[in-house]
Amino acid sequence: MASRRQIDFTHPKFAVVGHPNKGKSSIVSALAFDDSVQISDTPGTTTKKRSFPLSVDGKILYELFDTPGFQRARKVLAWLEKHDVPANKKHEVVQAFIDTHKDDERFNDEIELLEPIMDGAGIIYVVDGSQPYGEEYETEMEILRWTGQPSMALINHIDETDYSEEWKMALEQYFKMVRTFNPMQTNFEQHMNILESMAQLKEEWISPLKVSIKLFKQYQEQMLERSAFLVTRLVYESVSAVDTLSFYTQEASDEERQKIESNYKDRLRDLEVSTQKHIEEIWNHDHLQTKKKDLTFERMDLFSEETASVFGLTRKELLITGVTSGAVTGAGIDLLFAGHTLLLGGAIGALVGGTGAYFGFNELSEVKVLGQTMGRRYLEIGPMENRNFPYILLGRAMYHTMKVAQTSHAKREVFDIEMDQTFKEKWLDDTSRKSLEKYHKKFRSGSALEPTELKEYEALIKHILKHLIDA
Amino acid sequence: MNIKPYVNLYELLEVNPSSREENRAFGLTQVMLKNKPVEQLLAWIEKHKESLKKPLLSETFSSYLYRVTFALVLIAFALGLLAGVGLLSYNGEEPVNVIYFIAVAIFIPLFTMLLTLFAMLRARSTEGVLVHLSPAFWMEKILGLLPGNVQENIKALQINPLLANWIIIRRSQIIVLFFSLGLLLSLLAVVVTKDIAFAWSTTLHISPEVFHNFLHTISFPWREIVPSAVPSLELIEQSQYFRLGDKLDDEMIAHASELGEWWKFLAFSTLFYAVFLRSLMLILASFGFSSAVKQSLLTLKGTTRLLREINEPIISTHAMKREKAFISDDESYGQIVNALDASYDGIQGWAIPQSELFVLGDSMNIISPKHFEVGGTKSFEEDSEVIFKSHGEVLLFVKAWEPPTMDFVDYLTELSSKVDKVVVVPIGTVKNHYEATPKEIDVWENKLSLFGDMQVWLKRSSTKALSRGAENGES
Repeated sequence: MASRRQIDFTHPKFAVVGHPNKGKSSIVSALAFDDSVQISDTPGTTTKKRSFPLSVDGKILYELFDTPGFQRARKVLAWLEKHDVPANKKHEVVQAFIDTHKDDERFNDEIELLEPIMDGAGIIYVVDGSQPYGEEYETEMEILRWTGQPSMALINHIDETDYSEEWKMALEQYFKMVRTFNPMQTNFEQHMNILESMAQLKEEWISPLKVSIKLFKQYQEQMLERSAFLVTRLVYESVSAVDTLSFYTQEASDEERQKIESNYKDRLRDLEVSTQKHIEEIWNHDHLQTKKKDLTFERMDLFSEETASVFGLTRKELLITGVTSGAVTGAGIDLLFAGHTLLLGGAIGALVGGTGAYFGFNELSEVKVLGQTMGRRYLEIGPMENRNFPYILLGRAMYHTMKVAQTSHAKREVFDIEMDQTFKEKWLDDTSRKSLEKYHKKFRSGSALEPTELKEYEALIKHILKHLIDA
Repeated sequence: MNIKPYVNLYELLEVNPSSREENRAFGLTQVMLKNKPVEQLLAWIEKHKESLKKPLLSETFSSYLYRVTFALVLIAFALGLLAGVGLLSYNGEEPVNVIYFIAVAIFIPLFTMLLTLFAMLRARSTEGVLVHLSPAFWMEKILGLLPGNVQENIKALQINPLLANWIIIRRSQIIVLFFSLGLLLSLLAVVVTKDIAFAWSTTLHISPEVFHNFLHTISFPWREIVPSAVPSLELIEQSQYFRLGDKLDDEMIAHASELGEWWKFLAFSTLFYAVFLRSLMLILASFGFSSAVKQSLLTLKGTTRLLREINEPIISTHAMKREKAFISDDESYGQIVNALDASYDGIQGWAIPQSELFVLGDSMNIISPKHFEVGGTKSFEEDSEVIFKSHGEVLLFVKAWEPPTMDFVDYLTELSSKVDKVVVVPIGTVKNHYEATPKEIDVWENKLSLFGDMQVWLKRSSTKALSRGAENGES
């Protein structure tokens, strides 16, 4: 038995145990960033222990176990108590219980939850702090004490009522540490705090868990970088997209003009949806997607006036942005001629930029008839001329990414993406608007970009996203 | 470096031959290449090249480029030869004006080299206007001659503009270099096979002294090494002629052997300006092309993802095994009690103290002779004793918020085999005035429906009366 306790001691393990339906799986789901864990109101959803290792390049740093809840705790304790042994032998009795009842279906759940503990896992005992304390829990806590493994208790809050104090009084009798953790409202900082507490359970776990914390930070950074990359590609590809439609008559019909516009819009919508899906995958919210399939910002279409009013710039903001960006270009000309232009370049640039912004407020992109002299006539639409569109698209992408990044993996209800009218103020200040406009102008021009330009834009997006997610 | 790695990478990114794990494993094995993205990509291409369909698109494309360039090189060489022969054509009556040859061997190369330098500086721009002047530009136009499927693939490739520009710049230098070689060869051949009287003539008022100075300057690269390849002032004076004068005057005829000395100057001019400088341009273009290939590798769609997969550690927090889908039986339980009777043969509470059972009984105006706490902290012996004492109809209170465990089911099974009827009554918390939420009762109903015992009933109607009674009980 002693040899078994030494097996697999290469990395820390933690078994999340407790009464049925007290949020064990939710906690594991949140700590493991895994939304595939089955969570339901029905007790007994988890029937087998499940391992959630944190691994880097295949090397496991620590392992979490989701376990079924205690079903026949009284019977187990009664069996254990039949053996009158000193404290240093109690864990051997627990092992003997497992060995004796391995094939006994009645104790399937208890064996599933006790096995990882007897293999050296630290205990994370989960209770629901929103329900009153009951003495019957002491049976479970007593069994865990018999295992002799380091343990801590987590008070979960499934509902709003609060019985934490009475729980704390009881739990402190049995556990080295008692912490409160709400998997539904957890953020990155709370997550790391729990890991730090877990590290305190055993001295030799401090170092691997410190590495894990560092790694989680790196992981968060990776997710942020990938999201910024995808958002950048979305804006660039959408704004610079060009669609063509051949026609074989003398003049293009209205239907053909409508068709190309509709194809163009659909293409941009698809790009947005596919980016959203990828971003959800990056943040390990793959299962969010299935429930959210037809939910696009409360069915607020990418091209609707409503979405423009929430995410886009106002005519005034757009005008200022146009004037500023035009003036900057003009000032470049002034600089080139060492001011001999009497700063006219800046003034003209501002006027041109501002006028363009004012008149380019509503239209998307002109449908052009091309190839008249070549014999093959076709309609062409794009790149996007609407100066507001990149801000609308970007705003929606930022909002979606922020929501996804901030959503706990323990949540199973339909993704809540309610509109926040003040969102624009949160991310788009004058400085970032000016910086963004420089790139949007390039994207609109349809000319090839330097790889460094997209990288710079990506860095800008990452900075804004980080600010939004951390806020 | 040639274009093959670029085309191979394009094709490999399209077929995506390796998983994220394999790419990361590759990154870990190539530690020496860390922070060298281009080298990493080249090594990755080498590793996966075999998985591409044969013949490789890169091979097809390179061989196409090679063939077209070779054809153009031959044409350029032939044109060079012809141009040389044309410029040096001498019918014995009129001397060969060296000005033409100087223009073709010195000034046109210098001018085109300047244009090339300009094109090199502007190679990043999508539309290289000057590049369009190059004969190699028209190579693209000959794309149509390729087989249909290859043509499609190459079109889909959409070569990076920077790379496309450098391909054209480099190949133009090769073509022009061969033109110059043709010119040089023709000069040597004509000089060997013919006796040519060279002269110079111009409408401009240029004195032989000025012309000598000019040629002396032009000859600076070789004048110290081969002085005989620099025309002397005397030769220049002797070989000047005017259209309206006698084309071959007496003096010219008297110095016929000297007039041929021009060929050395012309040969060295061609060798230095048209061949040597052009070779330098070709070397420069090759460097530029090589650097463009490397840069373009990084701009291909999918490269960023690939490099990320190679360099970023794979951090995984997911479960190794998939969870068996849990199917919830949301069946409604058939044995529901909406109102409780006035008396029962026994009232029991699962993990509910006896004192609380009295309160609950009183508040609900239910009379019972026996009140027992079972489960919870009670021992199995105590539970067995309660079951032994039980008979008739029993009311069993349970904490609605605590989901039914198998321990409870075991007890219920035993109890129901002993009594006529068991009514399970889920109650809420005191804070909630003992009122159970419908969700909590649903959980109990689901569990009891799995249990399926005809003696067991569930109380599930509104518990308002109960909560009112409980308030009275508490007061």
